[in-house]
Amino acid sequence: MTTTQVPEIELDHVSMRYQTDKSEVLALEEVTVDIRKGEFVSLLGPSGCGKTTLLRIMADLIQPTNGEIKIAGGTAKEARLAQKYGIVFQSPVLYDWRKIKKNITLPLEMMGIGKEEREKRVDSLLELVGLTDFKEKYPWQLSGGMQQRVAIARALAIEPEILLMDEPFSALDEFSRERLNEELLSIWSKVSNTVVFVTHSISEAIFLSDRVFVLSPHPGRLSAVVEIPLPRPRTKEMRNRKEFYELISEIRDSFEGV
Amino acid sequence: MLMNRVAPVIVWAVSILIVWQCLSWVFLEVLELPLAQSKLPYLHELARTFPDYADVLLAEGAVTFSNAALGFLFGTIAGVFLAIMMSISKWVEQLTFPYAVASQMIPILGLAPIVYGIVHDDQISRILIAAYITFFPVALNMLRGLRSADPSAVELMYSYAAKPWVIYWKLRLPAALPGLFSGLKIAAPLAVTGAILVELMGATEGIGVIMLRNLYYGPSHNYMFWLTVITGAFLGIVSYLLITLFERILTPWQPEFRKTGGED
Repeated sequence: MTTTQVPEIELDHVSMRYQTDKSEVLALEEVTVDIRKGEFVSLLGPSGCGKTTLLRIMADLIQPTNGEIKIAGGTAKEARLAQKYGIVFQSPVLYDWRKIKKNITLPLEMMGIGKEEREKRVDSLLELVGLTDFKEKYPWQLSGGMQQRVAIARALAIEPEILLMDEPFSALDEFSRERLNEELLSIWSKVSNTVVFVTHSISEAIFLSDRVFVLSPHPGRLSAVVEIPLPRPRTKEMRNRKEFYELISEIRDSFEGV
Repeated sequence: MLMNRVAPVIVWAVSILIVWQCLSWVFLEVLELPLAQSKLPYLHELARTFPDYADVLLAEGAVTFSNAALGFLFGTIAGVFLAIMMSISKWVEQLTFPYAVASQMIPILGLAPIVYGIVHDDQISRILIAAYITFFPVALNMLRGLRSADPSAVELMYSYAAKPWVIYWKLRLPAALPGLFSGLKIAAPLAVTGAILVELMGATEGIGVIMLRNLYYGPSHNYMFWLTVITGAFLGIVSYLLITLFERILTPWQPEFRKTGGED
């Protein structure tokens, strides 16, 4: 909400080609994006539009074939090594052999933070995602939605500058998804870092974001950037507003021939 | 709940014993087969012989079991080590894996006297054979386990800028434990069998030795022979159960041990 004009993530004409057996697939073509510090943006598009690829490039999990990427003025690799990222994947990716609290403290262990400090932080993180009672449980004892909240708590544990979320709620039913959207915003209002959120749901993107980057497939390219003027804090009633529906139509229209 | 699990086991065991006893009677009294008691002895005769023979069985069984256990331990260490090396380097895998497979084609029955001929020590040859048998299933299952780590979980580690050995310690090794235990469960009874086999080749102590001796003495030692066979089987079962126990303690998160499902 306190969006300043400092660019946190800059992509300059980023392209990504995959070499398959015989042909070459252009997953992303010349994507240029600026994301401001403290901004919540969504990468929206149908499957095959390269939105996940784009997120993975930002996370330094893959390198683009062409183009440049800057994270807070440095390279993506520097940002990764400095542990500026919190990542939430499509599936929770919890470690089965660790209890909930130990799953959340995993990134803190990796940073070499002492046990006492870890214990302190895990309590506030569990409170943040509303899972205090599940501290001593194993991942499989929780529902899918709860597991994803644990994954969010784990991503937030290191207080990352940038939170990257790859369709985190796509495996959940519509009701759980809307509830978690609201929870995510209330969590974000407390930590207020930069969030890049990948989704294929138009309403989810609108409800959450300051700006929505619309991507079109074959090849993946940026086809529109839509500002979401809805005030914050967002409430679930806003989903029924006329503006909300207009935004849905606007975004739907911006897909080029999909 | 307990009744549901225990009752079938008891019914099953009792039925087997009854069938055994009946068959033994049929062999001896109805068909009047020659050496009927050697083919299938009366259980009550075995039970009668057991108290006098228990000391010997315990002493010789302990020798066999401790040697098998030692070999099993070495084989496990070697198997785990090779699996880790193969998972780190494709080159190591390509270099060693075909030979590991080929080594398993050598019949133990032939290998045991060769090993004994080389080392001339029945302790060491028992340990070596047990280790040799253990090594392969452990290496194979451990390697599968190491590779079973979720790619996203590896990426998560990568995003934490984790060093390779940290990825092994915190992710790949715990993820490999269920695989390791399936290998160990296959290997443990085989290690015992292997140790007994070596003893048949001419050792001085062990279950295999008294088994052979009783066989030589003929019908007079028939019940003793059967008791040694049963003891040998018992050692294999014990080794399996021990591994299962460790598995439950060390990997309580495995799906088959989970007490509760998901809750919302």
